[in-house]
Amino acid sequence: MNRLKPAFARLNKLPRVALIVIGLFLALGSFAPWLAPQDPSAQNLLETGLGPTAAHWLGTDHLGRDTLSRLIIAANTSLVSVGSVLIIAMTVGVAMGTIAGYHRGWVDDLLMRIVDVGLSIPSLITALAVIGIVGPGYWTMVLALSLAWWPMSGRISRAVAVSIMSKPHIEALRVLGASPWRIYFGHLLPGTIGAVMVYATADAGTAALAVATLSFLGLGIQPPTPEWGQMLVDALPYLESDPRQVILPGLALTAAVIGFNILGESIALNRIPKPLSRRTLALRRIEVAGWAKENSDA
Amino acid sequence: MIHFISKRLRHSLVLLFMASLVCFTLVVSAPGNVAVLIAELRGAVATPGYVEKVAEEIGLHKPLLMRYAGWLGDAVRGDFGISYRTGQEVSADLPKRMLVTGTLIVGSAVVATLLGLALGFLGAFWPYRLPDRVSRGLALLGASTPTFFVGALMIYGFSVTFQLFPSFGFGGPESWVLPWVTVAVLPAAVLSRVVRVGLEEAMASPFVLTAKSKGLGRTAILFRDALPNIIPVFINALGTQVGLMTATAIIVEPLFAWQGVGDYFLQGVKFRDFMVVQACLLIFLAFFIVVNLIVDLAVLMTDPRVRRQWS
Amino acid sequence: MHDEPLLNVSNLTVDLLTAKAAVRPVDGVSYTVRQGECLAIVGESGSGKTVMNFAPLGLMPTGVTTNLSGSVRFDGRELIGLPESEIRKVRGKSIGFIFQDPMSALNPVRRVGRQIAEMAELHLKMTPRAAEERALELIKLVGISDPAARLRQFPHELSGGLRQRIVIAIALAGEPKLLIADEPTTALDVTVQAQILRLLKDLQRRLNMAMVLITHDMGVVAGAADNIVVMYAARAAERGPVDKVLVTPRHPYTRGLINAIPRREDPIGSEFRGLPGIPPTLGAPFKGCAFAPRCELAIPACTASRPPLARSADSAVVVACAVVNQRKAAA
Ligand SMILES: Nc1ncnc2c1ncn2[C@@H]1O[C@H](COP(=O)(O)OP(=O)(O)O)[C@@H](O)[C@H]1O
Ligand code: SF4
Ligand SMILES: [Mg+2]
Repeated sequence: MNRLKPAFARLNKLPRVALIVIGLFLALGSFAPWLAPQDPSAQNLLETGLGPTAAHWLGTDHLGRDTLSRLIIAANTSLVSVGSVLIIAMTVGVAMGTIAGYHRGWVDDLLMRIVDVGLSIPSLITALAVIGIVGPGYWTMVLALSLAWWPMSGRISRAVAVSIMSKPHIEALRVLGASPWRIYFGHLLPGTIGAVMVYATADAGTAALAVATLSFLGLGIQPPTPEWGQMLVDALPYLESDPRQVILPGLALTAAVIGFNILGESIALNRIPKPLSRRTLALRRIEVAGWAKENSDA
Repeated sequence: MIHFISKRLRHSLVLLFMASLVCFTLVVSAPGNVAVLIAELRGAVATPGYVEKVAEEIGLHKPLLMRYAGWLGDAVRGDFGISYRTGQEVSADLPKRMLVTGTLIVGSAVVATLLGLALGFLGAFWPYRLPDRVSRGLALLGASTPTFFVGALMIYGFSVTFQLFPSFGFGGPESWVLPWVTVAVLPAAVLSRVVRVGLEEAMASPFVLTAKSKGLGRTAILFRDALPNIIPVFINALGTQVGLMTATAIIVEPLFAWQGVGDYFLQGVKFRDFMVVQACLLIFLAFFIVVNLIVDLAVLMTDPRVRRQWS
Repeated sequence: MHDEPLLNVSNLTVDLLTAKAAVRPVDGVSYTVRQGECLAIVGESGSGKTVMNFAPLGLMPTGVTTNLSGSVRFDGRELIGLPESEIRKVRGKSIGFIFQDPMSALNPVRRVGRQIAEMAELHLKMTPRAAEERALELIKLVGISDPAARLRQFPHELSGGLRQRIVIAIALAGEPKLLIADEPTTALDVTVQAQILRLLKDLQRRLNMAMVLITHDMGVVAGAADNIVVMYAARAAERGPVDKVLVTPRHPYTRGLINAIPRREDPIGSEFRGLPGIPPTLGAPFKGCAFAPRCELAIPACTASRPPLARSADSAVVVACAVVNQRKAAA
């Protein structure tokens, strides 16, 4: 229990909005099958393009499917694929980064050169090139995006690994004759994974965008599995008559991404000094007022 | 200076060479028999005889090195081979497509720069006040809204509802407006943050205390002291964003029915037309390398500290 | 009132409110500086010297809110309570500032010539052309060789000593009445320190300016200053004319500081006779004397209440020490 305390303290400092949105996304994604009021792929050609009704709170699409249910199931699609991408990319990235940070020398040079090249090419282009060669499909998409995503975590974990390796206690361990395995698995790896997780979470929004974009282009999640980008492109031909079906999945995706982006920004901005918030200022004023009394009492 | 430029140019050439290697390897490593694939794509029944004929035709039997040399030699001369799907020269309408994509990227870069600077300065002028919050909110929205959704909203708002701009085809300047803005939203959002955060960081540095001690006002310090410090950073960020616009072009060109390189690349990917994928990829990579070169030179011109390292 | 000192600080208290804590780095300090005089403010680092001089003039970094009380009269005008727009008119024009670290005090991407010239444009209402001329004069005044070429250089192309001379040129450009030099030699090479100090002293005499010289080095004070304020943990421990305080230091802390100055007759490699213990970290004001934990003379009364600054046997010197003042009373 005590080990969780610092984690909670850190969570507490992050922007509330971000945590709420991310929490909502996670909950919706995890429990989608139980939350969706109707079968997301049940078509009803007699009830196409409906507005909100008692039966269909957000209306139906051009095939008469319930939009609300599809939006909810799409959260699940998104969560699962983003999760897979990040886990694979992080595993590869952390492995490469820690190896580079542990060995240094030419291994480091080579791996970081690859990372540089990978980072300089937009992830969408990398992913599309892979899909173009291998052919579309769910796992191609996940692998293609992982390939585009690992260099980021590779670079971060290398930086973290290098800083861990240069700490005095690692040097001491070495002198005391700790085995390389113990240093690697006991100290280097856990420390690096912790740091990379934070960045990976903040980056999940971009990954969600990438999944949706590939699906929008017809090269990601394939119908009938609902996905926000794919729902949007499906509804695009009916934009004039039924814009709601375009706007709703767009909003759902944007909301999820905003949550992750707020988180990412708050992490990036931590180091810049800002003026005090009104609340802290008042607290400090009270503190100072207390001193004056103390002194006059004396 | 000359030394730096020549060194940097050599570096770019090496990168270009590596890029070509990547493109080539990617296609060679495609799983399955390419000849069968092509035969099927052409709609023929893949009889062994026909497959053999295709393999001969695309030079599958030659050694890899020879194939690479041949391909690279042709590519340098602007010949990217024959499309597997259409049987046409890949390079036939590439110049026109590059012009379309070039128009998209240059215009969007200008829009993004103007919007980014305006939003960023808005925030820096009134930090932590209402204009700053608005600027930050807009940036957050712009950076989080998927580009295809932005495009759809643009079309719905400015083309369907208010018929201000066309949403279809690459015609005159009025047909450029919506695609430009669509592509520019994300980079503008990112750049505005770069400006805002960069200015804020510069305003927290010790030389600003000196500037204050001179009796300068906040506005004067912002423009005289903080701004010159963020120009190199801004150029770097702009370069990254312009590079990323190639990816955005892949989304936006089909949306507005523009026949650019992005659209071409997407079709190549969809129909697994390797020659097209390869050609577009090479063009993109060459573009990144050139953009990076320009960025490095521009930073060299604007940052005396970097300039000194190389002179 | 032609007799009023140029700078009259009385009972100045500064509270800094930050995101992490509230501190009182200046607690009821008073001193005066007359025209043409030099006042040294001495104390270990962290004792509040910088805050005391910069906070009343609005020169605190972002992220800190400053609460001021007491009075700071400069040139017949009360600075505390003045809006920022008014205080700004005083900075640069009437008071010039020199900073501890010349490496970071100059803008790295602007030519030093511009950084000097803009002062002349702002405060002497010169045209850019005339201001460049003025910058050239100033740069000669602070003793830089090859002045025309230097004006066109960037800070990173200059050595630390040269940069500090540029900072001094900037401080002088508005023809100020008062120069506040915050540890102007601390960040410099030992060989350059003496040069810069001599330059400052010389300029102060020639231009008949008042100067506040902040330092943590007692050794610097002797030839340079007329009066001295010794600070310990946000408070003034002792104040008086330099010749008196240096010769007969009364406060135990002042004595410790003077004792710590290396002497010529010290055998080489002899132990550093610094004060034992470390200065306290600042926060809430101390009850009683802040020096008590490190003081050899401390008695229980020292921690009971704050010892007031009182005249010592020599009426020009004031000391804040219960024991010293008691002895005087007894005598
Ligand atoms: N920017 C700041 N933020 C928080 N506390 C500060 C800041 N500047 C100074 N302080 C506090 O004021 C005390 C005195 O600082 P300073 O005046 O710089 O000391 P000196 O100049 O004597 O070395 C410090 O110990 C610190 O507690
Ligand atoms: S008041 Fe007491 S503790 Fe403080 S300096 Fe004097 S003798 Fe020492
Ligand atoms: Mg200081």
